[in-house]
Amino acid sequence: MSATMTDAPPTAPTATDPSAPRLASPRRDLSWTAAPLVGLLGLAGFWVFPDDLGLMTRIAAAALYVLSLDLVLGYCGIATLGQAAMFGTGAYAAGIAAVHLVNDPLILLAIGGVAGGAIALATGALILHARGLTLLMLTIAVTQIVQEVANKARDWTGGSDGLSGIDPAPVFGLFRFDMVGRTSYLFALAVLVVGMLVARRIVRSPFGLACRGVKEDPVRVAALGGSPRAYLVTMYAVAGMFAGVAGALTAVSSGIVGLDSVSFSWSAEALVMLVLGGTGRLYGAVIGTVAFMAAHHILAATDPFHWMAFIGLFLMGVVLFLPGGIAAGLERLRDRLTGTRNGSAPGGRA
Amino acid sequence: MTTTLRKALLGAVFATALGAGAADAATIKVGVIAPFSGPFAMFGQTFKEGIAVYQAVHGKTVGADTVEFVFKDLDQANPAQSKALAQELIVKEKVSFLAGFAFTPDAMAVAPLIDEANIPAVIFNAATSAITEKSPRFVRSSFTLWQNTVPLANHVAKLGVKKAITAVSDYGPGIDGEAAFKATFEKAGGAVVDTIRMPLKSTDFAPFMQRIKDSGAEAVYAFLPAGPTTLAFAKAFADNGLKEKGIQFFGPGDITQEPDLPALGDAVLGMTTSFHYSQAHESAANKSFLAKYKELFGSSDNATFTSVGAYDGVHLIYTMLAKTGGKSDGLKAVEAVKGLSWESPRGPVTIDPDSRHIRQTIYLRTVERVNGKLQNTEKDAFPAQPDFGYKLGK
Repeated sequence: MSATMTDAPPTAPTATDPSAPRLASPRRDLSWTAAPLVGLLGLAGFWVFPDDLGLMTRIAAAALYVLSLDLVLGYCGIATLGQAAMFGTGAYAAGIAAVHLVNDPLILLAIGGVAGGAIALATGALILHARGLTLLMLTIAVTQIVQEVANKARDWTGGSDGLSGIDPAPVFGLFRFDMVGRTSYLFALAVLVVGMLVARRIVRSPFGLACRGVKEDPVRVAALGGSPRAYLVTMYAVAGMFAGVAGALTAVSSGIVGLDSVSFSWSAEALVMLVLGGTGRLYGAVIGTVAFMAAHHILAATDPFHWMAFIGLFLMGVVLFLPGGIAAGLERLRDRLTGTRNGSAPGGRA
Repeated sequence: MTTTLRKALLGAVFATALGAGAADAATIKVGVIAPFSGPFAMFGQTFKEGIAVYQAVHGKTVGADTVEFVFKDLDQANPAQSKALAQELIVKEKVSFLAGFAFTPDAMAVAPLIDEANIPAVIFNAATSAITEKSPRFVRSSFTLWQNTVPLANHVAKLGVKKAITAVSDYGPGIDGEAAFKATFEKAGGAVVDTIRMPLKSTDFAPFMQRIKDSGAEAVYAFLPAGPTTLAFAKAFADNGLKEKGIQFFGPGDITQEPDLPALGDAVLGMTTSFHYSQAHESAANKSFLAKYKELFGSSDNATFTSVGAYDGVHLIYTMLAKTGGKSDGLKAVEAVKGLSWESPRGPVTIDPDSRHIRQTIYLRTVERVNGKLQNTEKDAFPAQPDFGYKLGK
């Protein structure tokens, strides 16, 4: 394994070079600003929308979850509709731990992460030999199984009544989870920013580059001595940890876990949000989540009876006019605004 | 030092949040969380209609205060979103009451919030017994599976049935129903020969029908959530010859709720259910309720148990307001309706002082065709049934 890891750096650049401008922007230095920017905008949101912290907490946790999907879909090319299995496992693990064992929020996040990673590792090792539609079906099957287990194990999970009674201790023993949601929000935002930084580190590591290599051309990676499946399973497990942490974060901040957190529709919604934002960028996941959930919220608040039609139109609009998602649209806009300098960059690579 | 600052800040926020509700001669807001879109939109729609009927009859003001309803859509059971919506309603909209809640987890999720904000939450539907144990500020105007099942099980035993079988959807309410039936029926001297749990989304019931047939049971207690699955189940029951074999069908009335009856058709004809509300209930209160319904919405065909749950729920909110003079103290408001009795469209009801759940008459009904329209005709009544499931644990 370590031999393949050391082999990876030389192979990775060749594999990713053509795709690098598409994955990251031509001026790839700028992508490091994403996490701090999210932190700053999030803090700004804290002051600008002090009444909407509940919604914003959910957005932050969901963004981390969509980010985990980007790790597998955007960087490994694994088509999956099963990310909710990891999210839900993390949520339930943290919830059950909170009810029976500990209530320190950070430990609960760790438990959620480990649980999500473990289920991803176990199922990933089983199903990742498949590709394409077969894999897609298998991921759905995994989600269904996890959901049914959660439904059957009523003594532990509360079944369809939901697992309630999660009462996390104050963060660092100081900040209580209050009704207005200040603690929840800042906690969730901090976890999201840290998650983005860690994810960025991972995708830029030799391992992350090798994963991109597998996405571009698994045969070539294999020919160079790497094991595509090992890379995929590892990244799947890593993404599972992210999803598990996101699930635990939702459990901690909402105090309850329901069967919806392991549902097929929650998996599909993640995919919608990711495609909306743009895949393979990490920050695209955050943009997509914010755009989708904010639109959802505003439309549902304006017209609680017919908002679904409008959100459908909104999604169609984005798909038609912003192919590649909002992030890609923003990048094109930036390229056009700073035309001359950037015009040379794409020209250079062409 | 930072903590004191935090506490002061929080205190200020709380004071404003709570103070706004206590303002005199103001608008009192009630936040309603329910499904208004998607497959469960019928819940939200009937809630809304029930509220509208109540306001049309009793006016929109209590004393000097105007009561305004704020609707928030929660299209499926999603406790995290339920909590976020409740948070928004309390913090941003400054509601004095929460109401609605179609599904149990959504109601459970707001328990810590209503305790912290000290506001009452009136549950229009969510029917798991455990909910009102989660917070002293919950009041429920609907029903529980235990409440509907216990009199039914006693009735089945009284008919001389010795061996029964249960077939329920594998989720919270179904399992509640199964437990209630088993406990009551066995206590009355009968035997439950088998308990079948069917997947919630199952539409092929032939294998379950075979199991029921083979079990040698004389009667089946079945519970499925209202909707297409019920239709498939009722059809399978008829098609697989269970009726001819003399196996009697019993169940809670959710499965023959009024809006579904036209779709269910003759398959449910003669089916015996137990429930707290039937459109065909003979009383002046129900007649005027339905008349108002028809006047407002053109037809009263959709008036069902959820509309009445909302109607009575609003009655509770109005009473709380009237008795507390609009002062926002959730516990006092709840205290004010404990033991309250009134005549609902469903019949005489009382809020049980211990469980804060509605005590009501449970009716035994049979589906009949009257004037070309299917209806649940009430055949027998069991007055003043409490929530038998309260504090029973799981």
